[in-house]
Amino acid sequence: MNTVLVVQSLISGVIMGAVYALLGVGFSLSWGVMKVINISHAAFGLIGAFIAYGMLKLWGVDPIVSLAVTVPFLFVAACLVYRVLILPVTRAKEVIVSSMILTFGVAIILENLLLLLWGPDPRLLTTSYSTRVLILGPFYFQYPQLAGFLMSAAGVALIHLFLSKTYTGKAVRAAWQQPEAAQLCGVNLKRISTITFGIAVASAGAGGVGLAFLYSFEPHAHNLWLIYLFLVVIVGGVGNVLGTAAAGVIIGVITGLSLAFLPYQWVNLLTFGLLMVILVLRPEGLFRSEV
Amino acid sequence: MRRIYSVLFPAVVATIGLAVIFASCGPVAAAEKPIVIGGSLPLTGQFAETGVWIERGMKFWAQEINAKGGLLGRPVVFKIYDDESNVGKAVTFAEKAITVDKVDLLFGGYPGTASRAVMPVAEKHKYVYVSMGGHLKSFEQGYQYSFGGPPLLGEWWYEGFFQWLETVPPEQRPKKAAVYTMNNPIGASLIESIQKWTKKLGIEVVVDEKYNLPLPDASSLIVKAKQMNCDILFANGFFADGVMMVRAAKAMEYNPKAIVQGIGSVVPAWIKELGPDGDFVFSGTVLHHKLKYPGNDRLNEFVKKEYELDGYPVYFGFGYAWMDTLTQAVEGAKSLDQTKIRDWLRTNKVNSICGPIKFDEKGLPDPINFCTQIIKGQVELIWPKDVRTAEPAYPKPAWGKN
Repeated sequence: MNTVLVVQSLISGVIMGAVYALLGVGFSLSWGVMKVINISHAAFGLIGAFIAYGMLKLWGVDPIVSLAVTVPFLFVAACLVYRVLILPVTRAKEVIVSSMILTFGVAIILENLLLLLWGPDPRLLTTSYSTRVLILGPFYFQYPQLAGFLMSAAGVALIHLFLSKTYTGKAVRAAWQQPEAAQLCGVNLKRISTITFGIAVASAGAGGVGLAFLYSFEPHAHNLWLIYLFLVVIVGGVGNVLGTAAAGVIIGVITGLSLAFLPYQWVNLLTFGLLMVILVLRPEGLFRSEV
Repeated sequence: MRRIYSVLFPAVVATIGLAVIFASCGPVAAAEKPIVIGGSLPLTGQFAETGVWIERGMKFWAQEINAKGGLLGRPVVFKIYDDESNVGKAVTFAEKAITVDKVDLLFGGYPGTASRAVMPVAEKHKYVYVSMGGHLKSFEQGYQYSFGGPPLLGEWWYEGFFQWLETVPPEQRPKKAAVYTMNNPIGASLIESIQKWTKKLGIEVVVDEKYNLPLPDASSLIVKAKQMNCDILFANGFFADGVMMVRAAKAMEYNPKAIVQGIGSVVPAWIKELGPDGDFVFSGTVLHHKLKYPGNDRLNEFVKKEYELDGYPVYFGFGYAWMDTLTQAVEGAKSLDQTKIRDWLRTNKVNSICGPIKFDEKGLPDPINFCTQIIKGQVELIWPKDVRTAEPAYPKPAWGKN
């Protein structure tokens, strides 16, 4: 067995999966807590990537530092979007379908805004460490990949801590588990939903920056990212933050192993075949669906 | 009688007067009626970047020809649909342009998969279709109305590179090749020439893999190529996967003698976004802003003024060149009759910005391919020697040593 190839493929796979996990946790949250399948989630992630790109090009701001702007900006923008557009839809009988249709429209608007502002050209986040590499024995760790991975790990950990340790986070979980009981205990569901959506979208912005470390991106890249979002969320269990994170890593491992052992053209077949199998055997995902 | 006369006379005069007015106005009105040229381009979606440049090239052509008094004395206007990089929509819009909009002329689309699908539509309605075509096989279907003017064929893409490599002394040529190809018709069209030429030049293909897009990661591909001591890397993909391979190659200090990249390295973003890391990559082209054929200078002047570019991007050139071919055919045929335009193209030479082209019975010119290499952030012409704009950098300097 070619150990170097296997380990290197695994490293890359895990990093890729972790970054998709960060993008996925917010998607999972809004789906799980509010029953809103936010099709525009990846498009918001793309906005994060473009803000990072713009700040890097204009002022030389490191993409990780740019999160100080991206995350609050997207949080506020998402709260507004939620109050103005999504909240009315959550009163519909079929929230999931209505929210999908609405946010599909939001995604198209965001994509066209990005096209208007940035044009269709593909972009790369090129930092001073873009091609630097950490070499440990025969293994290579590319700095941008490491940055994306660490950012994702930190992002997922922060969201988990927020949900498990803060009052608002606990209220989010309560709203997900027993909305009526939570309301009786004084939880303002409208406020909690707005905050949840804000956090979900803000984390998408961070996830978008993470993906931009790994891949080139242009205004329609969110369509592709969205496919992987469904993958990690369905595998991880809707609404389950740690499950989504674990699913990202599992998918990364499978992708890495496929790259090492199988012809490359089988990788997507295997990964999405896994999604089908999970949907059939465990429609609730590999992990219990809860916040 | 007198009363009848008094009524009839003004009526006759008025009728004659109106007839004279209409007779004199008629041809003018007809002359001013614009020629409508329709079809679709991928202005959004996966191929939007290229599609936008093609559109810009076409619009420059329109601007130029309208300034000269139009085509056959009539102004030209476009009816361009956005097919969203969707082949199915490209076909629908081609049908719509012909049957609903009843356009006078059809323009060529992008990418090859869309052009290939539009070719039978054009054939069905007997509309001349000047485009890049969709790989060699699309021109082997017996179509009478499709022309590659100029074409963009994967089968020809690396011809210039291999012709140049043949001039390199055998002991200096690469010995082992790693070939990674995106699993789609564009990628597949590149393989035949690689197989033919590597065999001819004594290069052993030790890694030959296809991958589905999107490529999740390039590290393992590069590890494999490095482990197998491949001294030439063929990265037969688009921009996103091409960039991933180059970055992984640099990160893993993989230094083959040559990196040959398919389609991704010809878009301006390659140089703009990759910077020096994108240097020394070989590719091919059908058009180039440094070619000396008439027209190239005007295109360069325009993109300099309009987009602050030192040379026109390849797909800007394609957009222009396809329309230019159609112009010469329409003017040669002196008609918008599709069969007359077709017959003119079959029997006459077109002076294109990539040189003179003459179509064969398949609608193809003789193979056109120039080998390019990115040197110091510029796409330079390497082969044929008579068009060379820079000496090839071979073997490729190690990462960080250029």
